[in-house]
Amino acid sequence: MVESGSAPLVRVENVSKHFPVRLGATLKAVDGVSFEIRSGECLGLVGESGCGKSTLGRLIARLIPVTSGRIVFDGIDLTRLGGRRLRRLRRDFQMIFQDPFASLDPRMTVGDIIAEPLANYGLSRGRARDRRVQELLEVVGLSPSFVNRYPHEFSGGQRQRIGIARALALQPRLVICDEPVSALDVSIQSQIINLLEDLRHRFHLTYLFIAHDLAVVRHISDRVLVMYLGKIVEVADSGEIYAAPRHPYTRALLSAVPLPDPRKERRRSLVELAGEIPSPISPPPGCRFHTRCPLAEVPGICSEQEPPLEEKEPAHLAACHFSDRVSAMGALEPPGDGPPAAPVAGEPPPRRGTLLTDPSPGWPAPGA
Amino acid sequence: MGGRPIAITTFIAEPMAQRRAGLWTDAWRRLRRNRLALVAATYLLGLVGVAILAVFWTPYSTTHQGIVLPYQGPTPAHPLGGDSLGRDVLSRLMEGAQISLLVGVGTQVVVLALGVPLGLLAGYFRSWLDAALSLLINIFYGVPDLLVALILIVLLGHSGLGQIIFAIAVTRWMDMARLVRGQAMSLREREFVEAARSCGSGTFKILFRHLLPNALGPIIVQATLGIPQAILFEAFLSFLGLGVQPPTPSWGSMAADGVQAIRISPHIVLAPTIALSVTLMAFNFVGDGLRDALDPRQRR
Amino acid sequence: MSPPLLEVRDLRIRFFTEDGEVRAVEGVSFDLQEGEILGIVGESGCGKSMTALSIMGLVPEPGRVTGGEIRFKGRDLLSMAPDEVRDIRGKDIAMIFQDPLSSLNPVLKTGFQVAEPMLAHQRADKRRALARAVDLLRQVRVPAAEQRARDYPFQLSGGMRQRAMIAMGLANAPSMLIADEPTTALDVTVQAQILDLLRTLNRETRTAIVLITHNLAVVAGLCSRVIVMYAGQIVEEGSVFDLFERPQHPYTWLLLRSVPRLDRTRPERLRSIEGLPPDLIAPPPGCRFHPRCPFRIEPCFTEPPPLQEVGPGQRAACWVTMRRAHEEMGAATLLDVRPGAGSGVHGPIREPHRG
Repeated sequence: MVESGSAPLVRVENVSKHFPVRLGATLKAVDGVSFEIRSGECLGLVGESGCGKSTLGRLIARLIPVTSGRIVFDGIDLTRLGGRRLRRLRRDFQMIFQDPFASLDPRMTVGDIIAEPLANYGLSRGRARDRRVQELLEVVGLSPSFVNRYPHEFSGGQRQRIGIARALALQPRLVICDEPVSALDVSIQSQIINLLEDLRHRFHLTYLFIAHDLAVVRHISDRVLVMYLGKIVEVADSGEIYAAPRHPYTRALLSAVPLPDPRKERRRSLVELAGEIPSPISPPPGCRFHTRCPLAEVPGICSEQEPPLEEKEPAHLAACHFSDRVSAMGALEPPGDGPPAAPVAGEPPPRRGTLLTDPSPGWPAPGA
Repeated sequence: MGGRPIAITTFIAEPMAQRRAGLWTDAWRRLRRNRLALVAATYLLGLVGVAILAVFWTPYSTTHQGIVLPYQGPTPAHPLGGDSLGRDVLSRLMEGAQISLLVGVGTQVVVLALGVPLGLLAGYFRSWLDAALSLLINIFYGVPDLLVALILIVLLGHSGLGQIIFAIAVTRWMDMARLVRGQAMSLREREFVEAARSCGSGTFKILFRHLLPNALGPIIVQATLGIPQAILFEAFLSFLGLGVQPPTPSWGSMAADGVQAIRISPHIVLAPTIALSVTLMAFNFVGDGLRDALDPRQRR
Repeated sequence: MSPPLLEVRDLRIRFFTEDGEVRAVEGVSFDLQEGEILGIVGESGCGKSMTALSIMGLVPEPGRVTGGEIRFKGRDLLSMAPDEVRDIRGKDIAMIFQDPLSSLNPVLKTGFQVAEPMLAHQRADKRRALARAVDLLRQVRVPAAEQRARDYPFQLSGGMRQRAMIAMGLANAPSMLIADEPTTALDVTVQAQILDLLRTLNRETRTAIVLITHNLAVVAGLCSRVIVMYAGQIVEEGSVFDLFERPQHPYTWLLLRSVPRLDRTRPERLRSIEGLPPDLIAPPPGCRFHPRCPFRIEPCFTEPPPLQEVGPGQRAACWVTMRRAHEEMGAATLLDVRPGAGSGVHGPIREPHRG
């Protein structure tokens, strides 16, 4: 396994997925998308509902067939594969699902759920398999004694851990995480994000991390891919995409994400998007974003010509005719950070007891 | 500063799973609280006992004529009296229970064997398979079931129990197939089925280890509610003389036998019809109870 | 200061389930001033929604308000006759929910539904109410309001439906609007618009807003005062600036550090809150947060901490407070998160052997 972070593990070439909806009409969920997932990286895939990000994840996981295009995994074209050969390859790309309440079969025990992939590929049997299942439970932070419990006995975060253990059972190379934390509570979200980060480094995994939450995606990803209405509009380094977005949609998206900071929030200017997301059944001609874009020249090039996804800076791609005008939309954070947080005034509560400095797991020991 | 530090080992911050009852245990607990269903189930258990007993022993022979006077009313020795040929009604009722239960359960076994695989396949694969099944179902719904049953019985020759069960099942499998198809269709969209596919589970495994167990609740309910329908259909066929052939007693043919004499000896008609009604009701109560117990969301 | 619009005192809500009594809300007290935007933040099951529903008298079965007072303009809603309460709820207090699709009747036109509260409470004639409904839709910036008023809810997008819900809430010019997770089901760009709308409405109509959410960031921009709830109780309350910049309760402090922030140039490892929220049938003794708290002293285990003043206008229910943690542990230790920590995995991660 290469950890260089440059060799592509997956090449997605001009992939489309069209769903027939009613007579004659098709829903273009994903429309002519090309990109790479590099070995060892975490590629974030972000977009609003209906942009096709989940469909794209399922296409790469080969859960649904493509309408056209190629998905090349480690040199092998998955779209032409079927039956036994596909099954053999499936080991290498596993998926973590959004809804921890729907992704585990309620009639199976935790042990059976995690053992299922092992059984499918005839990996270890009997005692050894039990041991492996317990080991996987431990790896994701669950007690090995949970094997005989049923999913409904667990909380959302714990179920998500079970789902992660199942995905890891086959030692995949690529893990497709489809909104793995959006159904979880805030404090549990961070546990799962941290766990996913750790697992990625321990087991040299490559992630495709799909989420609607830009902050989460940026936090965990090396590179971020932004989708709008079935198309990729921007790809860049996760630092770069926030600092200098080159697509007006990305810029608008960034401006809409609220920050847990009352001073910044009060000084923030929202990039208002006109109207609503058009239907993917009849996407607008030219640039798909032109109906809502504050920079669009309509009628003009934006409503007539589809902008190609091209390199605007080194390793920074955007699909916009006027990508050099995005920076003129204003800085995301106006200068000046406000006064620094001052210590609280007032009477502290009476001081009792001794503070335990290492009472909880994961807390730095004094002087550590 | 008072107090001393507390040992770290006293806490386990490890997430503990809440212990809750299993799905079936839960269902059983709910079922147990349903009085009506419990009474009905007890009655049905008793009926099964009687039917099994009738294999080895009945108070009198069920076929010998002239054991009592024809049209004899209830007496201490013959609590349900005698029929038009002087046979003991109670004994015949007992053996009739056997027939009814066999037909009811047997039909559902055939219905399950036909409906479940067809429904699962059609619901999971959709495409032409589903279209074909839907067409077939609609054709079967379109043709009067009595007609189908009659044709089959005639085609299959003289009717033994097996033929009757088969004939009834052929007119009754559609509901089950449709139910299982619907279940499979909604379950296949659930993420755990996708998860199974993505971790390499084959179609057979998905159908029978993931879809079927999760559809089992509604299937059990449907099968339970299908039993009284089949029993009634058999009784109806026998009433028309097309069911179980004499002298084997069936509740339907027993009722038919008493119809001519309904004014003088109503007990001949009443005994099998009451037994039939109570049994049908009991199955329906148990079926409803099971529905409530297995799918609490459907209540209210 | 004028008397508060809403005073909640020692509110208690219990759910009587088969497994036992769930103490969903215990001893919650707070005030809402006229024209104020108050945020109530907490994770699912912390009692924030139940608190809101109790104000509307909508606590679902098998739950019941078992104690406390909810005084609206000086009158206790809990001890009022049902007719009187009905007159206040929906007229003077309105509520909007997370999922506008299930809160709107699918077979009635949007305009009619917006007009309905007016018809119910003010006996305005139908034509006038419908005309006002269109005005309201315009006020919440629904484009082509006349046409949208004739549409059915399913013909509207999620954002438009939420706007229609807000219009419905505003129909009787309430003095208070409760918004329960109003943007959770919406996309982020739509969320920003709805939050903007709520802010504008508050400014223009002086309607007080109680915003209930799990999302701290949503609260930061909109609210002036924030209440943080945990396991059925208020753990901290204060102005939005104090709370975000000087949180005193460890739960608030951890919560703020457990969400990834878009504005951090080099993302740092997230802090997490170990374990799970407690079972409210048998909540832990002492402070309800102590099993998950990294800063504990002996009393935390046995004595429930009262909500007490920790600064001007800021109250926290904690025996320790973050100020003391800062002083004793030092900022460097506090802000250090070791790799591998906070993932819920205890002990080193072992490589599963290649099978």
